[in-house]
Amino acid sequence: MKPGRVVGNVTFHQAAPAFRGARWLLVSPMGEDELTGRNPRGISNESSPVVFDKLGAGVGDHILYVEGSEATQPFEGPIPLDAICIAILDEHEFEPPA
Amino acid sequence: MIHARVDGHAVTSICHSSLKGQKIILCTPIDDQGAATGAPFAAIDPLGAGRHMRVFITTDGSFSQTTVGDDASPIRNQVIGLIDPDQ
Repeated sequence: MKPGRVVGNVTFHQAAPAFRGARWLLVSPMGEDELTGRNPRGISNESSPVVFDKLGAGVGDHILYVEGSEATQPFEGPIPLDAICIAILDEHEFEPPA
Repeated sequence: MIHARVDGHAVTSICHSSLKGQKIILCTPIDDQGAATGAPFAAIDPLGAGRHMRVFITTDGSFSQTTVGDDASPIRNQVIGLIDPDQ
């Protein structure tokens, strides 16, 4: 479960049948600098995963996403999915000890 | 099992149904000296850890599914132990 910032959308004109109608987000993982606001751009240097979303997150939103086999748990059958958005954050605070 | 320090929390109202009512913490994985060893991550916290407490976190999703009572839950990280402050 990782915090991330939505930086874009991804659309396919062809996709596996299980993903018909799905929304996909391009997400920048948030590290310490992004969570504390020290990085004014809000976009980290980590590579940006594409994340399945059915909550309705948009560009600029802060989300939590899950990677790995747990990402497929909300689906009934096997599905070729690696990452899913599980929460849109209303607010967060992050303050490591000085 | 991840050794981590609680550095913050998050609040959500639009989320997977299994996250409703769960306290969500943001924490940093640390070594035995307290130095960060990786990027921050989120976990549910049924034990009520306080700020800057050291905790143990499991990444066993099937265990968290029993915690939240939903076998379709994608939750992966959960606090399972609060480390005594004097250790």
